Amino acid sequence: MKKKLISALLCTSMAASLFVGCGGAASNGGVDPDAAADETAEESAEDEVVTNTYGDPNGTHLEMWTFVELHAQHYGVMAETWNEEHPDQTIEITCTTYPYSDMHTKLLTALEAGTGAPDICDVEVGQFPNVVEGLDQWLVPLNDYAADYLDTMVTSRMETYQGEDGNYYGAPYHVGATVMYYNVGAMSEAMGLTQDEVIAKIDAVETWDDYQALGEEYLSSVNEEGKYFTCVDTGGVDWLWLAMAEYGDDWTGGFTDPANVQLDSVKNMLTMQQDWLKSGFAEVSPDGHIDLEAGFQNIMDHNVVSFPKAMWYMSRFTNYMEEEAGNWYIAKCPVFEAGQKCSVGIGGTGTVVTQQSQNADLAATFLCWAKMSEEGEQHIWDTLGFDVCNAALWSDDSFAHDDENQYNSFFINYPYDVLNDIGMDNIGKISVVSISPTINEYLCTTTLNEVLEDPSYSIDDALQEAQDAIDMEQ
Amino acid sequence: MSNQKTMAHTPKRMIGSVLATGFFLILSLIIIFPVFAGLLASFRPGKELIRRGLSIDLNLSTMNLDNYLYLFGGNADSQKYFMWYKNSLLICIISVAVTLFVCYFVAYGLTMYEFKFKNLLFTIVLATMMVPFEILMLPLYKEIIALKLIDTYVGVMIIGICNASTIFFFKQYLSGLPKDLLDAARIDGCSEYGIAVKIILPLAKPAFASMGILSAMGNWNAILWPLLVLKGAEKFTLPIGLNTLLTPYGNNYDVLIAGSMFGILPIFVIFLIFQKYIIDGMTAGAVKG
Amino acid sequence: MKIKNFFYSQKVAPYVFVVPFILSFAFFWVYPLITAFTMSFQDIGAISSDWIGFANYAKLLKDNVFHIAVWNSVKYMFFTLVLLIPFPMLFAVLLDSNLVKAKGVWKAVLYMPALTSVVISGTLFRLMFTEYTTGQMNMITAALGLGTYKWLKMGWSGMLALLILACWRWTGVNMLYFLSGLKSIDTSLYEAADIDGASGKQKFFYVTLPLLKPTTVYVLTISVYAGLAMFLESFMLWAGNSSPNNIGLTIVGYLYKRGIEKNDMGYACAVGVVLLVVALIINFAQLIINGTFKKEED
Repeated sequence: MKKKLISALLCTSMAASLFVGCGGAASNGGVDPDAAADETAEESAEDEVVTNTYGDPNGTHLEMWTFVELHAQHYGVMAETWNEEHPDQTIEITCTTYPYSDMHTKLLTALEAGTGAPDICDVEVGQFPNVVEGLDQWLVPLNDYAADYLDTMVTSRMETYQGEDGNYYGAPYHVGATVMYYNVGAMSEAMGLTQDEVIAKIDAVETWDDYQALGEEYLSSVNEEGKYFTCVDTGGVDWLWLAMAEYGDDWTGGFTDPANVQLDSVKNMLTMQQDWLKSGFAEVSPDGHIDLEAGFQNIMDHNVVSFPKAMWYMSRFTNYMEEEAGNWYIAKCPVFEAGQKCSVGIGGTGTVVTQQSQNADLAATFLCWAKMSEEGEQHIWDTLGFDVCNAALWSDDSFAHDDENQYNSFFINYPYDVLNDIGMDNIGKISVVSISPTINEYLCTTTLNEVLEDPSYSIDDALQEAQDAIDMEQ
Repeated sequence: MSNQKTMAHTPKRMIGSVLATGFFLILSLIIIFPVFAGLLASFRPGKELIRRGLSIDLNLSTMNLDNYLYLFGGNADSQKYFMWYKNSLLICIISVAVTLFVCYFVAYGLTMYEFKFKNLLFTIVLATMMVPFEILMLPLYKEIIALKLIDTYVGVMIIGICNASTIFFFKQYLSGLPKDLLDAARIDGCSEYGIAVKIILPLAKPAFASMGILSAMGNWNAILWPLLVLKGAEKFTLPIGLNTLLTPYGNNYDVLIAGSMFGILPIFVIFLIFQKYIIDGMTAGAVKG
Repeated sequence: MKIKNFFYSQKVAPYVFVVPFILSFAFFWVYPLITAFTMSFQDIGAISSDWIGFANYAKLLKDNVFHIAVWNSVKYMFFTLVLLIPFPMLFAVLLDSNLVKAKGVWKAVLYMPALTSVVISGTLFRLMFTEYTTGQMNMITAALGLGTYKWLKMGWSGMLALLILACWRWTGVNMLYFLSGLKSIDTSLYEAADIDGASGKQKFFYVTLPLLKPTTVYVLTISVYAGLAMFLESFMLWAGNSSPNNIGLTIVGYLYKRGIEKNDMGYACAVGVVLLVVALIINFAQLIINGTFKKEED
């Protein structure tokens, strides 16, 4: 490695000497950029170890873009398995990890320009409406390729990546089912109960009223400044999505109706949160939401002991909050009225196949297999820790109760038991359409700050302002 | 008499010197703080940053060289990192060299001569500074594809070579030089281009130094355009590579902070070399002559 | 003989010198800019685009969020001008005098922030300004008995954070511009002033300041532009383009939001054209007042 350092320093001093010696080089305008660029192209070809190309060099070549390194590795592993199972149609796949927002810019620019897009590309759900706008002019419909798996795939999640024409354009990684995380360790310590007793109390929670009663019991036994039962977000709409799913509402109106944020479900949730803030039951999440450094610190300091978040938040615990191992329990979310849906799919990344692909057929077959088959789902769960969309696996004992899996061992209970308990039909869906970014953005920048930072602010006024702003855009 | 005056000033000068130096000391301490905190963070595991925030706790027991050992460890991440590093250095060196000379000559033309369209051209130079790159992006991308420069370093560098702010800086600098130098050189039989290269360019060395470091900095940190033009991790530059470590699914602080801190190094070294050059610059003397 | 004429002609020379600029300008500015300008009159869709005349511009007039963005950018530009021109100039004059020892060290340190990428420095500042107790700003205020603040949620403190980040990054760079300008001032002028018995203050106002004018005009011009076009700093400080009540939203941030995040390029181009016009008006007014377009008189 020393050699690399020395060469870096050498390059640096070379640069310097170039400038210092500027008088001499001036007449011919310095170095010929063409020659130098060719030279590096050759040099980088030598460094083959580091390119993310997997599979059979003689197979069909596929290009894949993502913004998460772990996703790229998933396709690498899946390509090797695919080649073993399909020796007659082997593939070679090059996966490139780009920075998040720039990858989407690059993809949209390439799609608009009609050239330069990859065969397969990850698209974050927030960006999906922009990409799916091109429908089958830009993307390959995946209906036929996914047909074998559709029976057991969570329908609401497949629908998230639907286009206006009803085709499925994206293959999901996960359901992103929202669940309630409880810090049983901290609760049992504060309340002087055993963990099992606390868990029994949590399992008995069905409605938000029950939840509030449990929280008040906890808070009265802690009795300490700066401790809250939960925290509410000004920088995220997860709580509101949950409320809408419970009542069966959708503020986007889907592809047909106009967006409407003045919904009873939204008002009920915000009213409840304002009451919580006034009574000291909840605090506003530091820096806006819980999926940030300050949020992790807040959890680790045990300032809040429960919050609703999607299943993928489990990886935040294992990655950033190791010290919390064995403390946390996952449960269904409370509902406003018994019998409502108690979860909603949040976040996610849909993977698309572009029409610019020379081998669209093979790419789509491979993609659906890599993300929906049992082999693919097993690998997704083990490496990415996502709640997989193929519900057939949820009750498979060797899959869901594997104690080697880091998520199974980190939490007190098995995450898939919770999913089975919820049931795939009880996971609601909020559409992601072209108005979605506008709604989310207005709520997160303005409305939620108004009503939660100042709990006496009128919810009706705030939602009216939001509606006016959104109406301008539709 | 004059000797006495200097004598009387000495203690006062001493105090002034201490105050002025002390002022810069304090200012420097404040300025260095975030860099220092970042440097400390680079010696800690990323989890520590998440647990305690940007802590300036000097507790050695939490600090180790793991991040750097990983970065220099010869593993796949480390190989990628140094490949990005090398690409960035190359792009930076070539485009700074070309940019400086091209911009110098454009500025020279705009300053040293009176000609038709001069003010119009200068206005245009300034106007190009004001155009937000984001709106030019899509048309430029199509153009680079048409020119067959996509996925090449030439494609990355070419749009920045005629940099308006660099031209403007050279123009401002050159307009401070006396024009009688040109007439003197013409009488001596120098060609117009010979004057630009042999007479004026040496006088503009401090400007080359300042613009060199600034242009290097811009190139070193540029991200959006290189990213649009380049494909494939093996051609990436350092900022693109480091940015892949920040995702909506979590940030890899281990490599990000150590990598960024080590990424400051080459530009800082160039700066230190340039700086000496600026101080030793003989402009004042030459202009006087 | 003809070739010789070419090399010695003062008529031809300027055009030869500016040719690279004209080429680059035509290829990489005029064409894309015209495209962008036409796009600002369109509703750009994925598959087809429609002409909608001035509708995008009409919408801008009613768009409250855009007005907030403009106001933020203008405020930011104004304060960066106030903070990042006089102070670096004074520091440069001080550093150029022989009062200060170890000059090289201070220059290097003051310059260092500019070398860090905004991505990393923005992240560091975000952690320093967090509303949680681990942030350095809250540690300071708590130690002073002032309690903790939600720095990045209030208008004034959000702007303060942006300005501190700007000063941190650019003081050294601007100081360097002024230092480079000071180097080109003929020392005999100071000697002459000394003989006339001028005080230090008089020398500054009657010799240094007027002779630094080209540098000052340069710094002013690029600062106006950099201030109005600021985006990445805000993007990193709020870990995204959404800040509470849009306290950190800038014109380019809004352009990015519309063009990139919502893929509404037509509207984004209209925002870009407005930015271009505003920046041009401010800067040309400033340059005309400063006499940059006048023919140099000797």
